[in-house]
Amino acid sequence: MADHGSGPRAFADPVIDIADMYVFPSPERPDRLVLVMDVFPFAGPGAFFSDAVDYRFRLRPVEIAATGLRAAFTVGGEEYVVTFRFGVPVESQPGLLAQDCTCITSMGHSAACRVNDEAGGQCPGLRIFAGRRMDPFFFDGVRTVQTVMSGKLSYEAVGTATTAHQNILSVIAEIDIAAFTKTGHGPLFGVVSETLTHGSLSVRLERFGRPEIKNMLLLPRQYDQVNRDLEVRDLFNQEDAFQLGKAYAGAYRARLNANLAFWDGLDGKVDWPLGEHGAHPLTEFLLADFMVIDVSKPYAEDSAFEIEVAMLKGAEHKSCGGRSPNDDSIDTYLTLLVNAGNGPRISDGVDAPAVPSSRSFPYLVPPEPNPPPVRPPALNPAH
Amino acid sequence: MAAQVPAFVRRVDPAGTPVSGTDRIVTTVGSIALANLNAQIQGQERLAMAGLLSVPQHAALIELVALRGLVVGRISDYEWADAQADALVRGHPAVGTALLSRARLHVRLHRFGAASLDLAAAVSLGLDPEVAEAERAAVLQATGAYDKALTVFRAAAARRADFASLGALAVLHAERGDVQSAETFFGASRAAFRGVSPIPLALLDFQHGRMWMRASENERARRAFASAVRLVPAYAPAQGHLAEAEAAIGETCAAVSRLLPLTRSSDDPDYAAALARILRDAGREDEAAAWRAAAASRYDELLARHPDAFADHAAAFLLEPGGDPHRALAWAKRNLALRDTPRSRQLVARAARACGPARRRRGFGNRGNDEARA
Repeated sequence: MADHGSGPRAFADPVIDIADMYVFPSPERPDRLVLVMDVFPFAGPGAFFSDAVDYRFRLRPVEIAATGLRAAFTVGGEEYVVTFRFGVPVESQPGLLAQDCTCITSMGHSAACRVNDEAGGQCPGLRIFAGRRMDPFFFDGVRTVQTVMSGKLSYEAVGTATTAHQNILSVIAEIDIAAFTKTGHGPLFGVVSETLTHGSLSVRLERFGRPEIKNMLLLPRQYDQVNRDLEVRDLFNQEDAFQLGKAYAGAYRARLNANLAFWDGLDGKVDWPLGEHGAHPLTEFLLADFMVIDVSKPYAEDSAFEIEVAMLKGAEHKSCGGRSPNDDSIDTYLTLLVNAGNGPRISDGVDAPAVPSSRSFPYLVPPEPNPPPVRPPALNPAH
Repeated sequence: MAAQVPAFVRRVDPAGTPVSGTDRIVTTVGSIALANLNAQIQGQERLAMAGLLSVPQHAALIELVALRGLVVGRISDYEWADAQADALVRGHPAVGTALLSRARLHVRLHRFGAASLDLAAAVSLGLDPEVAEAERAAVLQATGAYDKALTVFRAAAARRADFASLGALAVLHAERGDVQSAETFFGASRAAFRGVSPIPLALLDFQHGRMWMRASENERARRAFASAVRLVPAYAPAQGHLAEAEAAIGETCAAVSRLLPLTRSSDDPDYAAALARILRDAGREDEAAAWRAAAASRYDELLARHPDAFADHAAAFLLEPGGDPHRALAWAKRNLALRDTPRSRQLVARAARACGPARRRRGFGNRGNDEARA
């Protein structure tokens, strides 16, 4: 799934597990950028955010450094930070606990709200929401696992959405774009969401840049000829998305090279010829794991990866990029991996969310009161 | 700008840089951690009941429920987990993970022989031998084979010195009575903690407190149990042991106030037993009698269902305040046969002394023997 359960640490404590991130210009207020972070997959009604965790977005200006098969961004040194923090739940009514939230930005905003309050909170230039919502992610996770295990594209015309009508905890910020463009930065920004500990020892627990980097490209080990026994996702989660450390870079590269080649081969032809030492053309591009948004362009529901795909083709991008909740970004991603856009669109058979997200704040729809049982994907279902 | 920053967010600045160096480890408040554990279990239980979980996912749910049972002192959680693990093996008899899950429940319920058999079978079915070795070490430790367990734990810590492996060494040294080594590893384990859930740290503090209690360092024990309770207020065994430490240093009222809610929230008779003991020692025999009767009745139920799991605690209760040293001795001997630990040996010796010459005259054929041999 997008990033649900993306490592042993996330499985052990879902309150730090970033399941997803969406970044898009507001459809109702084009001068605002919307940042959505989902945590706690399959959250039951009693789930709370942690009071010991910073849920934060980091934005850095990026520029296109190269296009074609060596496509890459350069990342600027300026950083804009949007941080959500939560309090200890207090009894608001007899037997009813309420949790408060504050959002602070490095640009000087500070807004507060009560968790699950539909109205959220706001201050000049910033509007926020925090609470339980229906998970907007749509994807056939079980057949994706079947694909990895069998080595054959296993999707059907009509798939089964793994997270349909399930709930998550969301933090949503709608922020004035001028706050980070007025200093001359932009229009391209790299965005990453993170959970990290409070305290004098601040530890990055999870991060999210693009969907399915960890679960589709770093989790499967069977094609990796170098580190087949190594679970690399927790290591990858601890890295700075904008400045990958050197210690484990070789392990990440080996895993990505192997798994990207696997996905490319699923249609029986090679669309991504490997370079020297088996290097896949997408490996370095995807190792820089942040989501890129063009804040000068309007909201779109089919813009995910469009900037990256255009760069790979040596063309100019036309959309805002980023990712909105109704965008079938997984099909776009699968198509990029399997045939590089040289063949038919690859579909997982799930083309829309169970309930489409709204075009108005807070965008994600209210939680499902009675989530149906669904089969979660399992890479090794028997063992 | 607009809203005033509430106090709770002042621990770090907007970029996430700590303001104070004193709060090196900050964990999720215990009430949230427990609520989220429940939320996690609820979410997974629905899927388990619908038969939608894979074996590893089902095993993970069983672990979560057993963890909740451990934290809130809910024996019914253990029983649910035990039944689920057994059903998992019946449904997937050739899957190592299922057998591992059941082996873990066997260990929790002191069925050490069955645990060893399941672990051996799991390895033959392809379970990672390193995982099985860690579980075998838990069996070795629980049964008093400390030297063998130490070899395994040292090797694990040499491979990866993290919170879990260092904590395992700390607890083992503590059980062996090597307080100095245990202190080193308790500190090292704590320093290696990298999460935000307070539960692992509370479990570590609890074991730290047990070490001091065994050493009759009641004030140190009280501090360690209090630390566990600060992290997770609903941690029933920590609350119960804290009450006993408080009673030991003369804070009887605090101990009684702490134990009373546990007798309502937990289905474990340990709290009624502790209350009976503390009230009796305080000269409040009438009140103690009611709690003694409640504990005796519940221990009888549990001994009938899980004799190995409760032999130890039931023997301690029957010895005092239960007032039945003969049954205590029988259960203590059964416990010693399962686990040859210093505590087990001490329990047998105390029970034998309590039986006195009368026991030697009457022989060993009393109710306790029949029960404990069953």
